[in-house]
Amino acid sequence: MASYLRILLIAILIASIGILTIYSSTYQKGTKLWQQQILWVVSGMFAFFIMSNFNYRRLWDVTYFLYGFVLILLLLVSLLGVVRLGAQRWLKFGGFNFQPSELVKLIIVIFLSRYFSKKSVDDVALLSGRLGIFRGLILPFIFVAIPVWLIIEQPDLGSGAMVLFIFFAMFYLAGVKLRYIFIFSLIIILSLPLFWQILRDYQKERLLVFLNPNIDPLGAGYTLIQSKIAIGSGGFLGKGWLAGTQSQLHFLPESHTDFIFATLAEQWGFWGSAILLSLYYLLIREGFLIAQRTSDYFGRLLALGISLMLGIQVFINIAMTMGLMPVVGIPLPLMSYGGSSLVMTFISLGILVNIDKRRAVF
Amino acid sequence: MIRIKIIIFTITCVFLFLVLNLFYFEVVKGNKFKELSNKNCIRILPQEGGRGRIIDRQGIVIVGNELCYDVLIMSSDAKQLDKTLMNASRVLGTDFKNLKNTFKGSLTASSIPMALAKNIDLKKAIALEELKPDLNGIIIQPRPQRGYPYGRLACHVLGYLNEIDRWRLTKLADYGYKTKDIVGFGGLEEKYDYYLRQEEGGLSMEVDHRGRFVRTLGFRPPKSGKDIQLTLDVKIQKIVEENLSGKVGCVVIMEPYSGQIIALASWPNFNPSAFVTKSNSSIYDFLNNPEAPLINRAISAAYPAGSVFKLVVATAALETGKINLSTTFLCTGSINVGKQKFSCWDTHHEENLRDAITHSCNVFFYRTGLLLGAQAIHDYAVKLGLSRGTSVDLPYEESGFLPHPLWRKIYRFKNWLEGDTVNLSIGQGELLVTPLQIARMMAIFANRGRLVTPYIVKTIAGQDVSNYQKKIITLPIKMSTIDSIREDLRNVVADPSGTANVLSTLSVPVSGKTGTAQAPPGQPHAWFIGFFPFKSPKFVICVFLEHGGSGYRATLLAKQIIETMIQEGIL
Repeated sequence: MASYLRILLIAILIASIGILTIYSSTYQKGTKLWQQQILWVVSGMFAFFIMSNFNYRRLWDVTYFLYGFVLILLLLVSLLGVVRLGAQRWLKFGGFNFQPSELVKLIIVIFLSRYFSKKSVDDVALLSGRLGIFRGLILPFIFVAIPVWLIIEQPDLGSGAMVLFIFFAMFYLAGVKLRYIFIFSLIIILSLPLFWQILRDYQKERLLVFLNPNIDPLGAGYTLIQSKIAIGSGGFLGKGWLAGTQSQLHFLPESHTDFIFATLAEQWGFWGSAILLSLYYLLIREGFLIAQRTSDYFGRLLALGISLMLGIQVFINIAMTMGLMPVVGIPLPLMSYGGSSLVMTFISLGILVNIDKRRAVF
Repeated sequence: MIRIKIIIFTITCVFLFLVLNLFYFEVVKGNKFKELSNKNCIRILPQEGGRGRIIDRQGIVIVGNELCYDVLIMSSDAKQLDKTLMNASRVLGTDFKNLKNTFKGSLTASSIPMALAKNIDLKKAIALEELKPDLNGIIIQPRPQRGYPYGRLACHVLGYLNEIDRWRLTKLADYGYKTKDIVGFGGLEEKYDYYLRQEEGGLSMEVDHRGRFVRTLGFRPPKSGKDIQLTLDVKIQKIVEENLSGKVGCVVIMEPYSGQIIALASWPNFNPSAFVTKSNSSIYDFLNNPEAPLINRAISAAYPAGSVFKLVVATAALETGKINLSTTFLCTGSINVGKQKFSCWDTHHEENLRDAITHSCNVFFYRTGLLLGAQAIHDYAVKLGLSRGTSVDLPYEESGFLPHPLWRKIYRFKNWLEGDTVNLSIGQGELLVTPLQIARMMAIFANRGRLVTPYIVKTIAGQDVSNYQKKIITLPIKMSTIDSIREDLRNVVADPSGTANVLSTLSVPVSGKTGTAQAPPGQPHAWFIGFFPFKSPKFVICVFLEHGGSGYRATLLAKQIIETMIQEGIL
């Protein structure tokens, strides 16, 4: 089966599971969130088809423009942004709330892919092997750090950290000399205490609570405890469709957004959540396979970056619901309720498909 | 290329890590989390059943259950709470602040409904129920409560109820008793608590994260305890208690052939409903009263027997052949044993056994006792059921005490002297008996030679339990002895010079024996034991007045009781 069909099918499957889960956790309130999500999925599929036919090499040309555009968007958010849940992350666009940080992730991936590859049909060899420390490490870091800083200021520590993560991984994949990576890690570790000071109180609380949720069982630890209860009480077979007490009786907060995985795990148990994880794994693996198949280095880095982006996000979100990572506001791609993330994911998948389509060119 | 492979490998490991964790959470620890999720959303509203009732032999309910109403509140959000408490306080007539404090004070977990007010008026309960839409989270819970329609009647036989104490809890935990259970103390409530106990049932309901009721999950109906039917007769008990009231002592009326207890009263008494309504001042009074109203004097206290013990001596002497019906002794008012003088209460001249019993002559029995010897007296006393418990189905029965030479040697390191025998022969000395034992002894003469086991409970939950009592023993005593003593006892009443002659005016032929037991430093104890009607006795009666003066007093009381019984048409 053609790769793009596989990707499309898996994505739609996951998105449908997402809609069903959103339904299960919100139908009682009478809100039409799940119908909204269907609209988003349809729009996403549209975007997917558009991007899968859009020559991804054109992205190379417009990289810097995109970078600038995203910076402006981020600045706009900090000036005009809609405040929701104590964070200023959204821009209002005629009835829709759009979260630029989702776009930023993709743009950074594109940016780094271009930075570390060379535009030439003939010379597709890696550029980065010959880069010195300034051009190999510090410069790209600065380029990435600016939007990351803006994101963290929103505050959205989760997305910011994720972008750094992606940077790190792409850095590695781009073939930069190992000692640069080593130096980079060292710098990060040494600057952690400084980092701690910069954190806001609630973010510090989240980290402490992550280490021991029972410090504040009715406050910061509540969500985490309820999430664990939800996941654990699913058992092997789950409690059954629409029968998850944690989500139905609203013990679990954010059950249709950040903690949607726990909602699913409660209703479908181990077998259901394992299937979902396998679906995600297949999707990401598909991305990596595409990266391996193409000989265009820009395309390869792009494919790797997109797959990584998805993989890291899935991992962080699920780990967070199980208490393996501190609570950060990262949605589960294709499942969590929210248009920005959904459409961006479909766009990224579209780019993946296009990379695969064009690999024969090289 | 290899870096890609490493990354792919890392990602695979990461996903496996997630799956393993999922497995751990959902499969390995699944049950624990299931429990936690249940704790979140399930609440239990317990409902009590009724305790078993206690019924008399005619079917009249002596102790039953009444419906009382508690006000419970399911704590929910705070805004509603104040409004709810405000409305509730208006209806209940209590201060809003008091209610709020009670609420805050007993707020243990937000999961359990708590009591705002207990045992409220029916009218208030109805009023609150009508206002239910305005009172969010208030539940009017009906609950059965022990009711005593006859007040203090037979309180010693019944016992009272209270929260279980630690000592009992340690012993009974295996039988399903929990902390805060209500159990019986003293009397039948204690002895038959296991049968009287009710089983709790309840409603289990699902609530949401705000504690709001979502739906009912299940209902288990509570089970009532088992009813107990007694051999007691409320009518006769009432007569007895009315006449006994004001005099410290007890009265036992028993059926001589079966051992069924018809009436058992002890004074001073207490009010069992004080423990139910938790009226602390009354309870305090009961517990601290020096006259010990909580003690059942018929079984839990042992006293010197006095002249009623003479029947034992008489039986022993006749059986062993130490005397016969024509043996006489001269009573000059006293005898000397060694240097000690032992007196009789009157000068009786020549007395045979019949005269001695009729006039209750001490000297006759001194001499008889000396002939018998203390050991023989002891042995016959034991045969007649003294010195050990009667196995009646009430708790805290004393077994009394019977001295004998060996005991004296071993426990007191002294020799038994003849003076002790003399004392023993008229029921003084270290001898101690309970009124119920004496009543049982009297029954031997009433039923012509059988030792019965007294009992009070006839049926439990409709099932006859009298078979489980000890079997009636036919004593190895000659019928001639029994008949002779029976006649003597009839003579005590019929003969004008008999000590119980006052009873002869009754239309029913009574027979019996009086007793005046010395009990220094106070007044002597007054005994009267008897049975009636003479030919085929229906009742054995034992009247005991603690420090009541001479036996005459007890006889008078017996007369009053029997008179009233005749009036009421019982005889």
